[in-house]
Amino acid sequence: MVNVDQSEDSAPTGIVRQNTAIWRVILKKYGIITAFIVLCAVLSVMSPYFLTTQNILNVLRQSSINGILAIGVSFVILTGGIDLSVGSVVALAGIIGASFATTSPVAGIAGAPYPAVLAILVGLVVGLCVGTVSGTVVARFKVPSFVVTLGMLSSVRGLTMLYTDGKPVPSLTPSFRWMGTSTVLGIPVPIFILLFVFAISWWVLTKTRYGRYIYAVGGNPRAASTSGINVRSIRRSVYMISGVTAGLAGLLLSARTGSGLTQAGISYELDAIAAVVIGGTSLSGGVGSVTGTLVGTLIIAVMNNGLDLLGVDSNYQQFIKGLMIVFAVLIDTSRQKEAE
Amino acid sequence: MKLLKMGVACAVALTALTSVAEAKQLKIGVTLYGLKAEFMQLWAAAVKTSPAVKNGMVEVTVFDGRYDPLVQQEQFATMISQKFDAIIFAPIDADAGATAVQMAHDAGIPVVGTNTRANSKLLASYVGSDDVLSGYLEAKAVLTKIGCKGNVVIIDGPIGISAQIQRSEGNKKALAECPNVKILEEKTANWSRAEAQALMENWLTRYPKQIDGVIGQNDEMALGAIEAIKSQGLKVSDFVIAGIDGITDALLAVKAGEMTSILQDARAQAMGSLDVAAKLADPSYKPQADIWAQYPEMPFSDGKLQNYSVPWTPVTADNVDRLLAFRSK
Repeated sequence: MVNVDQSEDSAPTGIVRQNTAIWRVILKKYGIITAFIVLCAVLSVMSPYFLTTQNILNVLRQSSINGILAIGVSFVILTGGIDLSVGSVVALAGIIGASFATTSPVAGIAGAPYPAVLAILVGLVVGLCVGTVSGTVVARFKVPSFVVTLGMLSSVRGLTMLYTDGKPVPSLTPSFRWMGTSTVLGIPVPIFILLFVFAISWWVLTKTRYGRYIYAVGGNPRAASTSGINVRSIRRSVYMISGVTAGLAGLLLSARTGSGLTQAGISYELDAIAAVVIGGTSLSGGVGSVTGTLVGTLIIAVMNNGLDLLGVDSNYQQFIKGLMIVFAVLIDTSRQKEAE
Repeated sequence: MKLLKMGVACAVALTALTSVAEAKQLKIGVTLYGLKAEFMQLWAAAVKTSPAVKNGMVEVTVFDGRYDPLVQQEQFATMISQKFDAIIFAPIDADAGATAVQMAHDAGIPVVGTNTRANSKLLASYVGSDDVLSGYLEAKAVLTKIGCKGNVVIIDGPIGISAQIQRSEGNKKALAECPNVKILEEKTANWSRAEAQALMENWLTRYPKQIDGVIGQNDEMALGAIEAIKSQGLKVSDFVIAGIDGITDALLAVKAGEMTSILQDARAQAMGSLDVAAKLADPSYKPQADIWAQYPEMPFSDGKLQNYSVPWTPVTADNVDRLLAFRSK
């Protein structure tokens, strides 16, 4: 900001406008990363424990589940939709996956435990199925995604309760729990999974034609349609992606906690959407990136972690997170006004 | 064995019943604060298997309060308009619950509290467990094992709900007996295993090698703490951990020597409150659940008591197998 003022003093007006514009672009494009760096800097000064390897790994591991969810939800939000069902999908995929990987004779399905790979596949397919249903209803019947996924939030939670009569699925096999509890080269596996999901999503959104179509559909569906993009199938596909990532997050949660829990993932959709919004993705679609989402996820995780390290009351965490969401949307709205 | 016993009990009850089979079936409604956690699921499953329900003397309807006092109030209105004979009530909020109890009282329907107590003098009776006592017992278990010295952390339930308030009171009562024990941190994880796991990971970073005991106000959160300790590559045996409720995973963890739990008997609360409610609705009713024999310290007393305190059972290596066997039925 100081730099902007200086340039205003020394340069002719035309260039000044350009310069300020550039600064505003930089601030908007990198504002979220700046905010993240500032937050980390403040916390590392305030707590000697913040910048330790163990703590950094903790924060990354704690953000892995929300990060994976948020990346999936980013795809939906980029098309201008919303997916409220992901928290319930976490529970359903987590518990059905768990029922294939439990050694408990009563909680599992017949013949369990099956190999971890099968349990994971089943969980992912569960997520895919829920996503396909939501996506089809949204894309084909043009029902607002808010309503469809709100309905799925409730129905899928109900299915979860029905599946085990509300009981958890304990005693998961070590091979299934590997992805949640083990480390590779000293780094927890959930972090690798998050990075893997991020890398693929980043590649799809920035390097493929399909990725460009997603932005096009979100930015201006009519124009996308006239230029020959199959808007309907793009729309359907993003809910399928979100379903699969939610399924993966659910499996990971089961692996981490050691049990498939019916009450898992309650209100996780809100944290996921918060991460997407804080990361600068526009709720009206067409603008944003999974990089932003990743940073948004990290901001939420760092804040929760930092406030725990500092011994701050947990009620403040909710309060601050709320303010950040509103602030992020404010930036987005001003950007949209400018575009008009 | 248990099945056989129940079968015999049912058969006896059925023969006894044939003469009064034409008598009016009692309609008893239950509203529980929420059915998402395992404990309330166990409660709901137990009430449906009460002998009086199985033999058809009582028709029981369980409503899910969805953690919302207003939802529960509306369920009361429904039960009143459908002329239920008695209501069993586990309110999400003690004070909001009092309004609902008043409504039923005005309509002449007796209300029996269970598990969580509505803050109302009009409650006909209460069949539940004393949460202050459970908080005391679990904290005492931790403090005894760490020799009444060292550092502990407390993981609270959702701040402000009655179970959290009472369990905290019990925790503090036990801690007051060990003035040398320092409470490093006390924070809520909202009954959630995943939330407690993150919280404990952060505390382990903040207080390396300083935490001796973990007092979780329910089992889920104690289990989250155990997972956090494991995820940091630490030894669970270096910590003394306790929870409350006796959910299945916790029983397994007790069996593995990782924690202590205090079992809250959902079955006794459910079947006990059903018998008391049925007795209040129909004075000729005879209690039928085996729980009255199971807990001689809690006599039925003709359903006239204001308070039935269902005892807590500390889960130990000695009784865990029996409890687990019972659970898997």
